Amino acid sequence: MSDKPKSQTVLVVGGGIGGISAALEAAECGSEVVLIEKAPTLGGRVAALNRYFPKMCHPTCGLEINYQRIKKNPRIKVFTMAEVSGISGAAGDYTVTVTTTPRFVTPACTACGDCATAATSEVADPFNYNLSKVKAAYLPHSMAFPMRYIVDASVVGTPEGQAIKAACKVGAVDLDEKSDSFTLSVGAVVWATGWRPYDPNKLTMYRYDEIADVITNVEMERLASHDGPTHGKVLRPSNGEAPKKVALIQCAGSRDLNHLAYCSRICCLASMKHAAYVREQYPEAEVDIYYIDIRAHDKLEAFYRKAKADQGIRWIKSKPSRIEKGPNGEPVVCGENTLSRDVYANAYDLVVLATGMQASAQPPAGAEMDEYGFVVSEEGVFGAGVATGPLDVSMSVQSATAAALRAVQAVRS
Amino acid sequence: MEKKIGAYLCSGCGIGEALDVKALEGVVSKEFKKPVKSHECLCGEAGLAVIKADMEAGDVTLPVIGACSPRVMTDRFMLPGMTPIRANLREQVIWSHPAGDEDTQMMAEDNMRMMMTMATKVNQPVPFTEGEFSTTILVVGGGYAGLTAASEASKAGHDVLLVEKKAALGGNAAGYASIVPSKPPYHDPQPNPLPKLIEGVNATKSIRVITGATVAKTSGMPGKFEVELSDGSTHTVGAIILATGFRPYDATKLSHLGYGASPDIVTNVEMEAKLKAGKVTTKAGSSPKAVAFIQCAGSRDPNHLPYCSSVCCSVSLKQAIELTKADPETMVYVIYEEMRTPGTTEEFYRSAQEAGVIFMKGKATKVENGSGITVTVADELLQQDVPLGPLDMVVLATGMVPNSTDPDAPAQEYGAELLTADINPYPAEGDYKPEPSVPPGGPLLNLQYRQGPHLPMLADGFSDSHYICFPYETRRTGIYACGPVRRPMDMGEVHEDAMGAVLKSIQVIRNAAQGHAVHPRVGDLSYPKINLNACTKCRRCTVECPFGAIDENEKDYPVVNPTRCRRCGTCMGACPVRTISFDNYTVEMLSSMVKAVNIPDEDEEKPRILVIACENDAYPALDMAGIAKHQYSPFIRILPVRCLGSMSLLLISDALSSGYDGVILMGCKPGDDYQCHFVKGSAMAKERLSKISETLKSMQLEVERVTMVDASIADGARLPKVIDELVAKIDAVGPNPFKGF
Amino acid sequence: MTISPTPKRAYDLNFARYVYENIDGGERLRMCMQCGACSGSCPIGKQMDHGPRKLFMMIRAGMKEAVLTSNTIWNCVSCYNCVVRCPRKVPITYILHDLAYLAVQEGYEPAKKADNARFAKAFWWSAAKYGRTDERLVTGKYYFSFGIGEGIKRGLGNQAIALNMIKTKRMHLGMPHAIKAKDELQKILAKAAEIQERHGKGA
Repeated sequence: MSDKPKSQTVLVVGGGIGGISAALEAAECGSEVVLIEKAPTLGGRVAALNRYFPKMCHPTCGLEINYQRIKKNPRIKVFTMAEVSGISGAAGDYTVTVTTTPRFVTPACTACGDCATAATSEVADPFNYNLSKVKAAYLPHSMAFPMRYIVDASVVGTPEGQAIKAACKVGAVDLDEKSDSFTLSVGAVVWATGWRPYDPNKLTMYRYDEIADVITNVEMERLASHDGPTHGKVLRPSNGEAPKKVALIQCAGSRDLNHLAYCSRICCLASMKHAAYVREQYPEAEVDIYYIDIRAHDKLEAFYRKAKADQGIRWIKSKPSRIEKGPNGEPVVCGENTLSRDVYANAYDLVVLATGMQASAQPPAGAEMDEYGFVVSEEGVFGAGVATGPLDVSMSVQSATAAALRAVQAVRS
Repeated sequence: MEKKIGAYLCSGCGIGEALDVKALEGVVSKEFKKPVKSHECLCGEAGLAVIKADMEAGDVTLPVIGACSPRVMTDRFMLPGMTPIRANLREQVIWSHPAGDEDTQMMAEDNMRMMMTMATKVNQPVPFTEGEFSTTILVVGGGYAGLTAASEASKAGHDVLLVEKKAALGGNAAGYASIVPSKPPYHDPQPNPLPKLIEGVNATKSIRVITGATVAKTSGMPGKFEVELSDGSTHTVGAIILATGFRPYDATKLSHLGYGASPDIVTNVEMEAKLKAGKVTTKAGSSPKAVAFIQCAGSRDPNHLPYCSSVCCSVSLKQAIELTKADPETMVYVIYEEMRTPGTTEEFYRSAQEAGVIFMKGKATKVENGSGITVTVADELLQQDVPLGPLDMVVLATGMVPNSTDPDAPAQEYGAELLTADINPYPAEGDYKPEPSVPPGGPLLNLQYRQGPHLPMLADGFSDSHYICFPYETRRTGIYACGPVRRPMDMGEVHEDAMGAVLKSIQVIRNAAQGHAVHPRVGDLSYPKINLNACTKCRRCTVECPFGAIDENEKDYPVVNPTRCRRCGTCMGACPVRTISFDNYTVEMLSSMVKAVNIPDEDEEKPRILVIACENDAYPALDMAGIAKHQYSPFIRILPVRCLGSMSLLLISDALSSGYDGVILMGCKPGDDYQCHFVKGSAMAKERLSKISETLKSMQLEVERVTMVDASIADGARLPKVIDELVAKIDAVGPNPFKGF
Repeated sequence: MTISPTPKRAYDLNFARYVYENIDGGERLRMCMQCGACSGSCPIGKQMDHGPRKLFMMIRAGMKEAVLTSNTIWNCVSCYNCVVRCPRKVPITYILHDLAYLAVQEGYEPAKKADNARFAKAFWWSAAKYGRTDERLVTGKYYFSFGIGEGIKRGLGNQAIALNMIKTKRMHLGMPHAIKAKDELQKILAKAAEIQERHGKGA
């Protein structure tokens, strides 16, 4: 590294819990920070979770504190709908090109909602993993940060778009907004691009695309969320009825050399949480957890113990081999119970695939990563959170705090 | 500078249509005799220009903005000078109540009255910046975590004092032959990074190493900790990193697994020593041809350690791999119940399988020593009891006990009850009735704090944070635990964790010197001031402070350590004589705001119910109810508080004596999985409230008038229903007889 | 031909190691993590006494006799469902077939009697003799391996199918078809046997 960094600014890429934490920790040490996020709001994956294990508390609680910290800290600049399109230079002196996607709503937006009232068409709601629809002018969700609407590109150039524009009393709708780019001079980069759920369609044996009542763990979070597509009720997607028998399948993609070779760490615990969602809402419901090994590290063992004490949860040590479609279209989970040697075919009302975590974005060229795409670089570009490997929220923030120190060290003049 | 209040009302976002803004202006100008202006979009450039012009002209120093929630447009209304006061007319009035309604209008007017009153009572806080502030970081513990912390802190430009109890640096890691891989390809054991790290620390001038010493006493506060070491030396430091690591679980308690029955039944620590020595041999001196590892030796066992020690699986994998490397003919077995190799450590599991290690799922039910050792395994996959043997060696994978106490220091009775939080996550199971497990020993830092000498720990004995989003939260500001004393973790994680603790130390040093609060009220300049003339020495503030920020002097008067304070106001709520206040937050201010509300006469049939809401969770939840356009009773008046812990019972009696028909407290869930960000603020509020019935009785009022509700930030849909139910319940009790007095 | 070692106690690894080294695909067997995806995938998993997953654990446990007398090694229908689903990429089908071969080599009773073994023998007899498989002869040889009476019974039982096959020219009644250069084939087979002898089984 050159003796003195040319820029003292830290760029944090990714506005999930990892990026937010890294940005705040660095800024609260006095660094100038630019935080960029490709979605219209900060919050990332955790904003779409209903609760955290093991406390069963709501992620938005911590986000609220962090957003307050950002709002009150003039050293952090936030850009949403922005992505890194190029990085050149070296540690201490990077030139970063950031490209933005049009939101069609300017910062003048007051979040009054008149545009949404004027919108007539609906688009799939990405916040709910497309399980529901939202007006073509919408607030990403009620905890969005920044609290600003977005107009869907599909209405640009239509009479509806004009009506939306006309409805805005403060003139904040700009349908002519184009993709833009700008450059930043930064001394260090924190790469906190997080994860995406492993594509369940690749798990052909589980027939996610064919059987409506086979869903993923991230979808389960939305079903259980008060602001989700079912207003917090866990319901069967096929018929909207309450499930009486639910299967939670671990390692849906993880620990599998055909899919993700590593263990995604959080799925076992998240599934115990899902079992709790079901059991809280439907005390009569039965939940079966299919697993290879239950991985509940450190004090999270207590969460496992709690789940084991629930008589309504059955533990089946088995990697289900496939899901068949039952006579009424219901999912039938098939496999071998490895402790009893029974070959089973169990019908369920709802099956949740505990899909694993996959690195969400490739780090910039030159930044070292492992064969799975997780960042391991220790110079100039520093990984934070799940961009460095599968971590739970607490460990992500821990990792982000470490990354913030690396950045603070790197830009120290 | 003289405080000049001016009010600004926004008529945008439908406020102008739903409310009579002129009448609102009248409240300010007639009742408060203050200037007031309206604008159709205050947060827009033109709107802001109106406020800025008045401020620049010196007509206004403290704007009161009646518009949207204070949670939005914060940056835009961040004007030079005093932080504007915001009256929430949008989310909590017009979005959650019918437009053009008389009751909605009354609600908005009362909101303005409350916030105008707040403005008259609030003062620009004067931060605590007295004296010198040290930027040195004290690291306690010279193992891998402590050495990493010292090295990284020096790289960030801080002087470090590193104190190690033993004569040599290195701690547990000094005994490691190799370590579990944390770098790709995660396949083979990695060389122990410790020797190089020690070399680096010893060569760094800004790190002062003192070995053979412990901390005898710690007093002071962030930026000004006074530390006395066992060698008699004293030091002033800005922050403290506790990196005291772990001790292996006492294997003599594992006689049921054969420990002690044969010298060839060893712990993983003993096996590591053999590997480090370069040759693994049995007591008889031969190379072992058959070795079994027994996992969870003590861990995950209600009779020993209730938690999972996290690293034992991968450590056994490493040792098993090393054994097969030394002699591929050796038969190595790992007896496990759950193989825990999270993340990319899964690759290391495969590596051990490739090396030919045999994994047996089941419990070791018996370990016998005859001609060779035989372990009886309840083999779950073969569904039978398998006698495994003769074995030449058995390795017990013992777990970690945190060094959150010093096993060599005498235990201190005082403060023991304050050691663990009021939580115990391990549910009872049959005969198993778990108690919080405080590792035996005395305090490490020997804090000279009113609340005892220890850094608080969780029920399992680790000095960890209770918060998922904030793993470095600490109940002793400026003191950060890292490494296995915080949570069982492997070397790779320890490195990250030590860096995190260094960052937090740097942060607290910086903020303390500027008089700023640290997380969660970052940047808050206020701190509690106590009028000792009125103090009755009741000690409630010193006992109830969640962060141990208040000590007692020799005359038993409370002494605030401002940089330890997190500004929750729990002391203020605890004080029975209202003698604790912040520059910008006082009981008097809250009380005046409560009384500022117009209470209609009994015959108007418009009850008034005070909602005291936690700023971080209940208040945003009410905002989100508004965003979703959920409607609720217009008879409530919402008073945001920093934490429900800052609520004094006097506030409730003030409300009831001034004619409110009831009070609803909305705070975070207390108890085992508490969600209060000030640890026990809401628990304290609940505790205080348990005594409200006496107050109510003395006022001859019904207990139904006061209710505490657990509210989370996700309760936007639930709270409106809760409010309506409680309003109906209070209404059924009838009007407050104090009305009109 | 080396004979696989017989473990004297539970989890004696000599047999497992023999399997790793000598059985086709055996080296991947180490990687099995006992998830059960194979046994659950098997279309006839219920008919198997142990199923591949447990069989693999039994190999580790040194249960040689139980492994080589198991019906699991004979019942595999080579559908490869288990192989494509195995998260550890264990070539289960190969391993089962080669274990079956080992069982035959080592003369285990069930191996001698196993249906698949009889059929394989008949198949091999025809292939080696004629360079082709003749349906009539293979079937006949297979049926009569159960004894003369049983052979006639089974043959008659399939009369209708046989007639239909003749009608549709799937089977014929004349001399068996044979390849032209039968002697060349014999040379190739002799060479293969020699290589196998030299390198040990599974080379």
